Amino acid sequence: MHSRLRIALVALAGWFAIVTATAVAQRGATPASAGAQTTVTTRIVASAQALLNTLDDAGRARVQFPFDGPQKTRWSNLPSPMFQRTGLRLGDLTSTQRAAVMNLLSIALSRDGYRKATDIMRGDEVLRKQGSSVPRGGGPNAGGGAVNPGGQLAGRGRGPGGGVVFGEDEYYLAFVGTPSVTTPWMLQFGGHHLAINLTLLGSQATMAPSLPAAQPASYTFEGQTIRPLGRENDKAFALINALDPAQRSQAILGYRVADLVLGPGQEGRTIQPEGIRAPALSASQQTMLWDLVKEWTGIMNDAFAEPRMAELRGNLNDTYFAWSGPTTNGSAAYFRVQGPTLVIEYAPQSSVDHIHTIYRDPTNDYGAKFARR
Amino acid sequence: MRAGRSTPLAIVLTTAVAASIAVSAHRRDEYLQAARLAVEPDRVELQLDLTPGIAVADATIADLDRDRDGVLSEGEKRTYVGRVLDAVVLELDGRPILHWQSIESTFPGLNDFRRGEGTIQLHAVATLPHQRDGDHHLAFRNTNQRDGSVYLANALVPKSDRVTITAQRRDPAQRDLTIDYVLRAAPGASAATWLPGALTGVAILAALLMRPSRTV
Repeated sequence: MHSRLRIALVALAGWFAIVTATAVAQRGATPASAGAQTTVTTRIVASAQALLNTLDDAGRARVQFPFDGPQKTRWSNLPSPMFQRTGLRLGDLTSTQRAAVMNLLSIALSRDGYRKATDIMRGDEVLRKQGSSVPRGGGPNAGGGAVNPGGQLAGRGRGPGGGVVFGEDEYYLAFVGTPSVTTPWMLQFGGHHLAINLTLLGSQATMAPSLPAAQPASYTFEGQTIRPLGRENDKAFALINALDPAQRSQAILGYRVADLVLGPGQEGRTIQPEGIRAPALSASQQTMLWDLVKEWTGIMNDAFAEPRMAELRGNLNDTYFAWSGPTTNGSAAYFRVQGPTLVIEYAPQSSVDHIHTIYRDPTNDYGAKFARR
Repeated sequence: MRAGRSTPLAIVLTTAVAASIAVSAHRRDEYLQAARLAVEPDRVELQLDLTPGIAVADATIADLDRDRDGVLSEGEKRTYVGRVLDAVVLELDGRPILHWQSIESTFPGLNDFRRGEGTIQLHAVATLPHQRDGDHHLAFRNTNQRDGSVYLANALVPKSDRVTITAQRRDPAQRDLTIDYVLRAAPGASAATWLPGALTGVAILAALLMRPSRTV
């Protein structure tokens, strides 16, 4: 009788362990890592509060938006004022306030993610220093659109005659919801070629949807060549060239993909996946695939990126890699990685020097999953 | 800030690209037509986004604003939508589906086109004839404004679990998209539906049988 009781107890303990492990895996975090994530969220919230403390009432009103309002989806790859952003504009801040914004980003993002964001912003500064502009076609507000050669800004976020402006001043921060460890909120930071939408709820975080892009895709800064999205490009070309002919025939799409399919404004849509399924890749090729994916998931703080990668690896069987274009590095080629909870697209805009990318989670854009839990 | 991350704005800028290259924040001389098709057992829904680049904006405006008054009237919008949908051809298993019905369309302001940020969004539906269970092929062809256009065409993951997409075939330009799919039979009433009713019926029957019979 005692032995039967012991067996029953052992079986019950085993069942409990399995149920607990399954639940934890589904949530994408171990209890220990959940603690680490909450700690990071606490640091992000403290940093956000420190920034708010540097602002006056008008500044606080400008940065704060309701969580369920339209601000959440107000982001774009376009420069200002082609796309009119709202929130705190970096160019309007004091050096102390601006340092507080960058400190907040350095905590919310990983080291690589912060580097990527600042490299993209510096790329836009390159455009400004070049005096580049998007020509205007006319109309009552058109004024030629040229940023003056000295790069002086004519008014807030607007070039002379209302034209498009570039540069590091033209990035905006918004808090969608109140920074908190216990209620959902979103840190939104973006400008031309950059949109980071980091939704947080305690130990949970998602950076979907976000849009890291680059133009120029290569420039020189303090004597070093900077390629904001260079690793994404190189890792993808390495992967496609690691495939054998049979695998390539599955991965390479027989048609041109001229742009992002699920770019800004394409919320709630899931396209039919195409390309080669990840199980058809060798172990080393799968490692290359995940290393490529990490270039996007790893933009957010490591404490959030690691469980996200574990979740994605769990969906290996339904993950696809698709390619369109030449396979020689240095060419303009489109690629996509898609799984049940992931869409990554990399789309050169007619040239290798102008890249758009998108990162989405069809099940959890803007933290939709958090609200359901 | 962490050490080494705070970088002064003094940038020594020597770009790796020729300075003379014109900077384009977005599409310039192409007309982007992005189609997404949702296949359901009884219909196909089309979401079509049309974005003319800056260099072709004036031609698009001329095409839209037929009376040249600088304003898009409802009639002009309807005419444009009708012309676009007439140019979007759909065939099911080799037979033409004749009619798209516009559900909704949104138009940006004319100046948005001139800035290269104007996107016309069309949402239309086509009713499909009754289909037998099994394999089907839906062919989509976008012949709207063939000159200077670039195309995207993708099937969305079907909402109905009766439809499973097995392949998408396209021409190199994505003007043509054929969606191969399997249609499964509509499931019969599920156990969850019929079981309570059946149990209730059995209970009533049992009660009637067990009821003592009256004798006069």
